[in-house]
Amino acid sequence: MEDEFSGFHPVINFLYFLFVLIVSMFFTHPVILAIMLFSGMVYSTYLNGWKKTLKFNFLFMLPMLVIVALINPMFNHAGVTILFYLDNGNPITLESIVYGVILAVMLMTVITWFSCYNRIMTSDKFIYLFGRVIPALSLILSMVLRLVPKFKAQLKVITDGQKCIGRDPGSGNIIQRAKNGIHILSIMITWSLENAIDTADSMKARGYGLKGRSAFSIYRFDKRDGGIMALMLMLAMLFAYGIYMGNGFAQYNPVIVINGLSPLTLSSLITFGSALVFAWLPLLINIYYRLKWKYFMRMLSEQKAVSKLHVNRKEALAIDRNC
Amino acid sequence: MAEIKVSNFEFYYPEATNPALKNINMSVEDGDFVVICGKSGSGKTSLLRQFKPVLAPFGKTAGEIRINGKLISTLSQREQSEKIGYVLQNPDNQIVTDKVWHELAFGLESLGYDSSTIRLRVAEMASYFGIQRWFNKSVNELSGGQKQLLNLASIMAMHPEVLILDEPTSQLDPIAASDFIETIRKINRDLGTIIIMTEHRLEDVIPAADKVFVMDQGCIIANGPPTEIGQKLKSDQHEMFLSMPTPMQIYAGVESVLPCPLTVREGRKWISKVVDRPDQIEIIAEKEPNKETEIAIEMKDVWFRYERTEPDVVKDLNLKVEKGIFYCIVGGNGTGKTTTISLISRLNKPYRGKVSIFNKAVQKYSGTELFDECLGVLPQNPQSLFIGKTVEYELLEALGKKKKNKAEATEPLEVIKKMAAVLEIDHLMKQHPYDLSGGEQQRLALAKIMLLKPRILLLDEPTKGLDNHFKQDFGTLLKRLQQHGMTILMVSHDIEFCAQFGDRCGLFFEGSIVSSNTPRAFFSGNSFYTTAANRMTRHLFNNAITVKDVIQCYQMNR
Repeated sequence: MEDEFSGFHPVINFLYFLFVLIVSMFFTHPVILAIMLFSGMVYSTYLNGWKKTLKFNFLFMLPMLVIVALINPMFNHAGVTILFYLDNGNPITLESIVYGVILAVMLMTVITWFSCYNRIMTSDKFIYLFGRVIPALSLILSMVLRLVPKFKAQLKVITDGQKCIGRDPGSGNIIQRAKNGIHILSIMITWSLENAIDTADSMKARGYGLKGRSAFSIYRFDKRDGGIMALMLMLAMLFAYGIYMGNGFAQYNPVIVINGLSPLTLSSLITFGSALVFAWLPLLINIYYRLKWKYFMRMLSEQKAVSKLHVNRKEALAIDRNC
Repeated sequence: MAEIKVSNFEFYYPEATNPALKNINMSVEDGDFVVICGKSGSGKTSLLRQFKPVLAPFGKTAGEIRINGKLISTLSQREQSEKIGYVLQNPDNQIVTDKVWHELAFGLESLGYDSSTIRLRVAEMASYFGIQRWFNKSVNELSGGQKQLLNLASIMAMHPEVLILDEPTSQLDPIAASDFIETIRKINRDLGTIIIMTEHRLEDVIPAADKVFVMDQGCIIANGPPTEIGQKLKSDQHEMFLSMPTPMQIYAGVESVLPCPLTVREGRKWISKVVDRPDQIEIIAEKEPNKETEIAIEMKDVWFRYERTEPDVVKDLNLKVEKGIFYCIVGGNGTGKTTTISLISRLNKPYRGKVSIFNKAVQKYSGTELFDECLGVLPQNPQSLFIGKTVEYELLEALGKKKKNKAEATEPLEVIKKMAAVLEIDHLMKQHPYDLSGGEQQRLALAKIMLLKPRILLLDEPTKGLDNHFKQDFGTLLKRLQQHGMTILMVSHDIEFCAQFGDRCGLFFEGSIVSSNTPRAFFSGNSFYTTAANRMTRHLFNNAITVKDVIQCYQMNR
């Protein structure tokens, strides 16, 4: 799926995920959790397609949810509302069940957000961000990312070559297998060290090691990034203020206390609202650009129609004149 | 304006008494396209590296190299990085970073340019070299040709005045290689950058060159424009002629006072003038090699694909290789030739059809039985077989597995010595395998495989990266093995090699063999997919496919 948000500067992408992940990880308030889960689900559906998301949710998330929700009340027996007693005399309490469910939902939310993170924060964005902090690290990371697939391919070549002289690491007795495996590893090491000389030469030939190395990136922080950054900061501050006011407080042991819901005050509404808007930012951006695109296309076709009209009129005039 | 002057240059490797380079005199002017050729080990790479002091090997030097009148050793590292670009042989190993755009910017980053300059230069390079389409890709998604092009572009981004290339196309397939060389010619033509390159595929390079230097044993034995080189080598009867383009080789074997032809087009005109009788001459076709009833490799209705959802790589393939025959499979890239080898060697399993060796399905051979005295496979990269510290150890190691065989276990050293002698690597026994040249490594790998006593040999692109001398040696070696009853199946892009040494050639297209015949019938029947010698003389001689054939025809004609 085309995503406009991933076209923003990596800093924006990263800060966005930092915020939503922190909020989903550290707040047990049901409304905030629900907002985060819902937004995360919608965004991941948008990014990964509903088929994949649905499959993932049903095959992996749902069972996990049930297991986590069940495990908590089995081991945690605190709480004042006792529902029944287990055979071994331990109580099962309403509070511990609720807390189990909350924990499960939190885990699910975080995983969902990470599935979005993986789609948006590609390796080069990550390298770019951390290269800012430690420049040498960005090159090392980039080189590592280059080497891993290369080694994988080389390993395949070597294994195939060894198989073809009857040294399959997957057959024979265990000693033979180990021996063949070690052989492959040994060839691999010698070969990559030998190849590394070439890489070093190529780096030297292109002036690596000269003083004053700069770091190039294909990203630029533009006005649009600045605007969205300001918006994000404002929303985050609103939310933080709300939390400071106690609107995000929730407690499950020994009694369930949830702030900000009854009564639903304006300040709690603003708190939850700011979280919701923040979490929906990428989707809102996508919607905005889609509408804008449609609007432009319509404008364009109208203009064409208008100019056609003009042409027609001119032609008519010309014909008139000729007559 | 750039110019390079080399005067009386000598170079000694540490502790060596004989110079690796001696008495080198060269003068290269602005915009020159210089080709340095010579056998492997003649000192080409040693010389090239002297032009880039950071890459020059350690050792004693005498004489001087001046670039723009300045001694090259006094250039600062910044100056050399900027002015002298150096492209190495292996496309894969030169790439440092994981993304195409980052690789393009690498050199500029080192030089400390700011982002907007780099952005412009990178954009320029990407447009000039046609990289836009894969600009944002990861480098491991690229093909070999694209990788080498990326290496070239990332060096050109630094705007060098001199571009040095050390056998840049040796790891590429012929089409990618021609494209690459065409790009270099374009750089030379459009930008006037000095090009100094070594190359073993001289067909495409020689016609473009302004100056050719021929090296032998560390000396320059001939230099001048390509046509003069042809004449000079002809009068010297020097063996370097083997590496020259086909028209030049034919020229060497024919008496003529006309200037030396460089390309097939010039060759056609030249040969028409030389051979004045226009009647078609034929070489008597050799007898088909005795057809043995025993079939070594048989593939019946074989279909294969890598993933269920992917298209078929091998489609309805039927192949029969009789015992004792040298069968060559030729064909374009990605038609499934290498996959076919992997099917025979059981690395992959067809989803339909049957592969059998000596009338027994490969799947029925147990464990290592298939590779024990039956099937030998020489991998494309011989280095993927080497474990030992010395050649001797390497060979002993190959033998080690076969200790059961008492007669041999008693004298393993004798056995390996004999094998090494057959493959002409006996003088290298104490060397490290990685220190051998490409051709020697190839032979060592072959020796390792031969120690397992295979009856069938599968070769995948064995001539890749070898110069013509090694190719000739390698071809004769294969012929000798064949006389001992070996069946050889080779997959190759190298038509000239197949025409010269094969018994049967098959054209692989779209996953199966579309036609197969003896080389003579096969290549003289094709119009495009045939040897240069045939393309050059097909209007005069009916079925001459190698240089030798053409010369023979010419002599019959007189």
